[in-house]
Amino acid sequence: MATTWIDVGTDVGGTFTDLWVRASDDRQAVVKVPTTPDIVSGLFEGLGGCAGALGLSLEELLGRVRRFGHGTTVGLNALLTGAGASVALVTTSGFRDTIEIGRLKRQVTGLTEMEITDVTNRGRRPPIVGRERVLEVVERVDRDGVVVVPLEERAMEQVVDALAGLDVDAVAVCTLWSVANPVHERMLAEAIAERRPGLFVCMSHEVARTVGEYARASTTVANALLGPVMGRYMEALEGRLRGAGLGAPLHVMTSLGGMAGSELVTREPVAALLSGPAACVMASHQVGRRAGRRQLLSIDVGGTSFDVGMVVDDAALTRRELSIGGVDIHRPSVDVATIGAGGGSVARVRDGVLVVGPESAGAVPGPACYGRGGQQPTVTDADLVLGTLVTGQLASGGLALSRELAAQAIEREVAGPLGMSLMDAAWGIRKVLDSNMAGVLRRVTIERGHDPRQFLLLANGGMGPTHAWALCADLGIPQFLVAPTATVQSAVGAGTLDLRASAERTCYARSGPGAPLDDHAQARLDAELSAALEAALAKLPAARTAAWSCRCFVAVRYRGQAHALDVAIGSGFGPPRPCDRELLARFEDEYEVLFGAGSQFKRAGFEVLSVRADVLVRLKGGVPSGALTAHRHLEEVGERTVVFDDPSRPLECPVWSATVPPPGRVLEGPCLVAYPGQTLVVPPGAVGAADDDGNVLVTLDATAGASLVGTAESAVA
Amino acid sequence: MSGGTLAAVTFEIVRNRLLAVTEEMRVTLQSVSGSPTVTEASDFFTGLYVNGGEFATMGLQVTHEAPAVGALIRHLEAHRPVADGDMFIANDPYIGALHQNDVQMAVPIHWGEDRVAWAGVMAHETDVGGMEFASWCPAATEVYQEGLRIPAVKLVDRGVLREDVLEMIVAASRLPAALELDIRAFVATLNVARARVVELIGSYGRGTVGEVMAWMIDTTEHDTEDRLAALPDATVHVRDFLEHDGHEDTLHAVDLMATKRGRRLLLDFSGSSPQARGFINATRSGLHGGVTGALIPTLGFGLRWNAGLLRPVTITAPDGLICTAVHPAPVGAATVETIWTVTNVVQRALNLLAGGSEAFASRSQGVSSGTMATFNLGGVSQFGERFGLHLLDPLGGGSGGFAERDGVDAGGPVAVPVPAIADVESNEQVSPLFYLYRRLAPETGGPGRHRGGNSAEIAVTLRGVESGDAIVMTHGAEVPNSVGLFGGWPGTTVRQRFSTAEERATGRPPRPLGPKPGRIPMVPGDVFSVTWQGGGGWGDPLDREPTSVADDVRRDLLSVRTAAEVYGVVLVEGQVDTVATARHREELRRARLAAATAPPPAGAEDADASLRYALGDHLRVVGAGGKVTVRTSAGAVLSRAAAGWRQGAAALSVDPGARGISLHPELAMTAYYCPVSGAQLAVDVHRRDEEPGDDLVFDIGERVPGP
Repeated sequence: MATTWIDVGTDVGGTFTDLWVRASDDRQAVVKVPTTPDIVSGLFEGLGGCAGALGLSLEELLGRVRRFGHGTTVGLNALLTGAGASVALVTTSGFRDTIEIGRLKRQVTGLTEMEITDVTNRGRRPPIVGRERVLEVVERVDRDGVVVVPLEERAMEQVVDALAGLDVDAVAVCTLWSVANPVHERMLAEAIAERRPGLFVCMSHEVARTVGEYARASTTVANALLGPVMGRYMEALEGRLRGAGLGAPLHVMTSLGGMAGSELVTREPVAALLSGPAACVMASHQVGRRAGRRQLLSIDVGGTSFDVGMVVDDAALTRRELSIGGVDIHRPSVDVATIGAGGGSVARVRDGVLVVGPESAGAVPGPACYGRGGQQPTVTDADLVLGTLVTGQLASGGLALSRELAAQAIEREVAGPLGMSLMDAAWGIRKVLDSNMAGVLRRVTIERGHDPRQFLLLANGGMGPTHAWALCADLGIPQFLVAPTATVQSAVGAGTLDLRASAERTCYARSGPGAPLDDHAQARLDAELSAALEAALAKLPAARTAAWSCRCFVAVRYRGQAHALDVAIGSGFGPPRPCDRELLARFEDEYEVLFGAGSQFKRAGFEVLSVRADVLVRLKGGVPSGALTAHRHLEEVGERTVVFDDPSRPLECPVWSATVPPPGRVLEGPCLVAYPGQTLVVPPGAVGAADDDGNVLVTLDATAGASLVGTAESAVA
Repeated sequence: MSGGTLAAVTFEIVRNRLLAVTEEMRVTLQSVSGSPTVTEASDFFTGLYVNGGEFATMGLQVTHEAPAVGALIRHLEAHRPVADGDMFIANDPYIGALHQNDVQMAVPIHWGEDRVAWAGVMAHETDVGGMEFASWCPAATEVYQEGLRIPAVKLVDRGVLREDVLEMIVAASRLPAALELDIRAFVATLNVARARVVELIGSYGRGTVGEVMAWMIDTTEHDTEDRLAALPDATVHVRDFLEHDGHEDTLHAVDLMATKRGRRLLLDFSGSSPQARGFINATRSGLHGGVTGALIPTLGFGLRWNAGLLRPVTITAPDGLICTAVHPAPVGAATVETIWTVTNVVQRALNLLAGGSEAFASRSQGVSSGTMATFNLGGVSQFGERFGLHLLDPLGGGSGGFAERDGVDAGGPVAVPVPAIADVESNEQVSPLFYLYRRLAPETGGPGRHRGGNSAEIAVTLRGVESGDAIVMTHGAEVPNSVGLFGGWPGTTVRQRFSTAEERATGRPPRPLGPKPGRIPMVPGDVFSVTWQGGGGWGDPLDREPTSVADDVRRDLLSVRTAAEVYGVVLVEGQVDTVATARHREELRRARLAAATAPPPAGAEDADASLRYALGDHLRVVGAGGKVTVRTSAGAVLSRAAAGWRQGAAALSVDPGARGISLHPELAMTAYYCPVSGAQLAVDVHRRDEEPGDDLVFDIGERVPGP
């Protein structure tokens, strides 16, 4: 069959670069290569691997590409290592130290709880821009957007002159209340652009349109810091891809969980900081939706981190702010909870107790079983000893894992000190890790008022399919789903997701106890919604020619609260809709779901803070469908001894080898399924069934009463 | 599961779950609450308690509040029938609260007939009634004038909220809606805690959960004892002051004699001033809170925070002192007055001990943010509604200089592990405040080899309303509470200023306000401005790395003149002139000695000079047995015993005015120098009519070490 088109998804992580390709003739391939310092050469090595897997040359591959998606940690790394551009901040006179002071919270931003207990850790990270690079300008706007102190021509000239003495590549402009009236920010940015045309200049009311000068300034400075770096990177990447024959558009993954044009990410690099985790969640959303499910938990278990995202009522949960490398960023992003836990998590004994993670053995030296000199036992070593691990990372290059080295490390560091058997110790390591991961799942579900039993868990990452069964058992989640390409799910996302953009507008209104918003407030709300929609559309040039749909939110809280809820207007993406009169009632309903029956407090009155519009443009492609039936493979290749719930009673179980399991195939637990780069564990009593898309849906034994939620409910009642 | 051998695994899992429950309590409270003290400043407490009231877990919140709900729980266990499904509310400082603004709630957690544990919550409420808005009442002479006092009342009776009781409580407040929202948030928080712990018991058993909670406390107790054992055996005597009791500008001392022997620490406050007439007092529960506020962050690094941190520590003081006031003394401002000052002295004592230990010397630190100047604003908002704002910006004082680096600018108090203040825009959005500036105040951090963190400062007026009432009060306007360590200077004192619109129009400079001006009516155009205390410095400023001085100048945090005067650093076009700096520093050291009163030389050195303890850069305690001497790095012998080194040092009464420090008429400051080198060994704040005594005396030489 001729290959008429190829979709490519790529995801560059800190350690590995993941690639996924799918051809029109029903073939797909996954490739993992080590990430290189320049990123582009590693990516091209991976692309070469993909071309090889399809029997094509690199040029043939790129020439046939229909869509090319790219997720990258270039911005993230620049922020984490401080390797960004040299930046200045221009701000309102009297507020030079907004970032230094950082609402006092900057001094502990990004620290773990344990690090916070140590006062000597405070304020170790320098501010993203020091006060010697902050220029004050006399001007002031008030909360209503009224100019209180006008911006004089001379004051602007002084700022531009002062910039010359600072040797900067980029300038962030953030003045007080620019969100209520951006006139001064615009004047300043224009003056700078005119006199210093080489500089990257960005304005806070465009980058982070939110009330709260600290987060806005911090985000705008981060954007300026990344601007020149991201610009150079995108230019180099696009240049090489075009040179090698890529004709299709280059799309970049954003933290919002959708694709954007490379020009948007060049202008607003903060939009792409968390591309990988966001892509994984949104790819899971597609997979889950095709499976007919609206409540999803997407997990990604890699070597060092455990990421969780959620889909509730067919919409991925998002958040407004995140903290990266001690920098607070205001940007709507797919909400991903993370802890340091994964296959590389190190196990040790402290105070007579077994502790696992958050330290990781990384890729070098890696787990003890890699035989690269790692002495400390990791979860991967425990999995190997317990028998649940068949394959290693794709990128280990077919490395043979040494069960003996794994066992020695566990004996020495855990079993010996605790006086346990090897199997008990290995089981304990897995149990503690699983419990820590389950804690995160509990936090995002039960603590937010969601019943985990109503969710389908999607297991991603190299280790996700190995541990999913235990997490499901702990939380009472009845089923989990494993895609054949789960190990590179973020790359699948980059190759399959739609174009997406988002914009905010501030809009402050209050209503008295129990009262609706008055007509004036309602009219302003609708006007700001239109403005937000317009701004979001402007970020997606494709929307000029293609069909688009939108989804809008209003941030509401009870009067006096600090935290607001985003209340959606209408359900799902659709045509633009005006804000309905039921908004406050829906806020109260959602509030009650989150904080319990009776928590509503009408007497407090309401505050509306801001509006947000998300816009979607569909792209061709999507996750492989049931049409793909050839090239499927599943066969039994042997047997092995595996520990599940009881370390003293290992079970004999069959091992299968698979690429994409044929539809309808049933896998009776206990068994293991070894794919390239991932091992699916089907525990005793569970049954796996392959669907048309090649996913395996595992249903846990409903009669096994391991569910904490179940017991808890009966206890409460 | 094969039972006992896997206990290590089960314990870790149950412990993590208990910590997760505590975290969930925090999230619930912060999400539902309407108080900026809760949502922004984490001025609240959530925790799980064992029977008897010891806390097994706590969130990373204001550490002063850790023991308070425990006292309430002990009171309930002793005096009230407690049934499954009940919840109790209280705020009585004579039982467990720090002052009436701290509203507390507790819920018993039952499994069948057994009470397994308690969950508790507490937060600062902006107004609970009393003579003045915000319940801070400078004119009060009795606790009855300071708002509603709730000893311990059942608010939820076997699962049913008593609306009548709730109504009675919120009726006492000027901000009833805010108080009711918070109390409902407490109920939600305790519901969550109770349900989760019951789930946990359902999975792991009543015995296991109880055992794990007890084991968590035991483990931390053991770790804390190990930490104490690593500190030298010694006696520490430190004293801090607070001025103005709301009526008159009186001076009051909080005096601490701390004795560290082996694995125990005794804290004796007997030398403190008698209780005051006005609202600055603390009750005994306040004293415990103040001690905890310093113990947890100073000794608890890297440990699980729970009551185990308190077990090796004994607190003693007779009734009737400023820190053990007896009923009906007023205590409305306890948290920011005496309790804050108690935290200062305990912090200082522990840092002196750390400084003298090999293991922890690198962690020693000057005092951080030794005061919390309060600014409350009430009236009718731009929305035509009655409002009250408890401004948290005053948390932005400087933190103390560390042994290894400078204090954090606007680092705030150590007792608040995760401090936060609202954005200027957020405050302007919901209240009539209008800021002229919020910035760092240069030269406010105490000079030192590692300087204290600089304080932040603000200036505010009103906009969009006709008028408002500010309530302004602080201590530390005439007392440098944020003292330094090992020769570092204190940070500056609080500066509060006010100008009316007319005064500003005529160009008059702002009027300085005293420590407790109380209520100030404000109209738009009037400006209130305040600079808080910088952190205490660490070590002699003349030892500061000259390039760090140049950095501070480059960052506009230090003038070229102060760089030369205080740090002896000569800058030429921003660059350090190394030769001139060395020369100038030597001149300054000689000038110190020329001005100071030096005692006669103490004679030749003893042969045995083996180092026992180093105190900062320049003090050495050497020798053994009966032949102990205290010397300086330049070889001068200051004392032939563990005590009394100040008598052998060159002493100079210093006028701190030029360093931004105002002193109460009853206070003075003395600097001590090495009589040979002129190195600065200590800068003491003391009563004018008293000489500073020993602050740290090791148990060596003539003393017999304790058990």
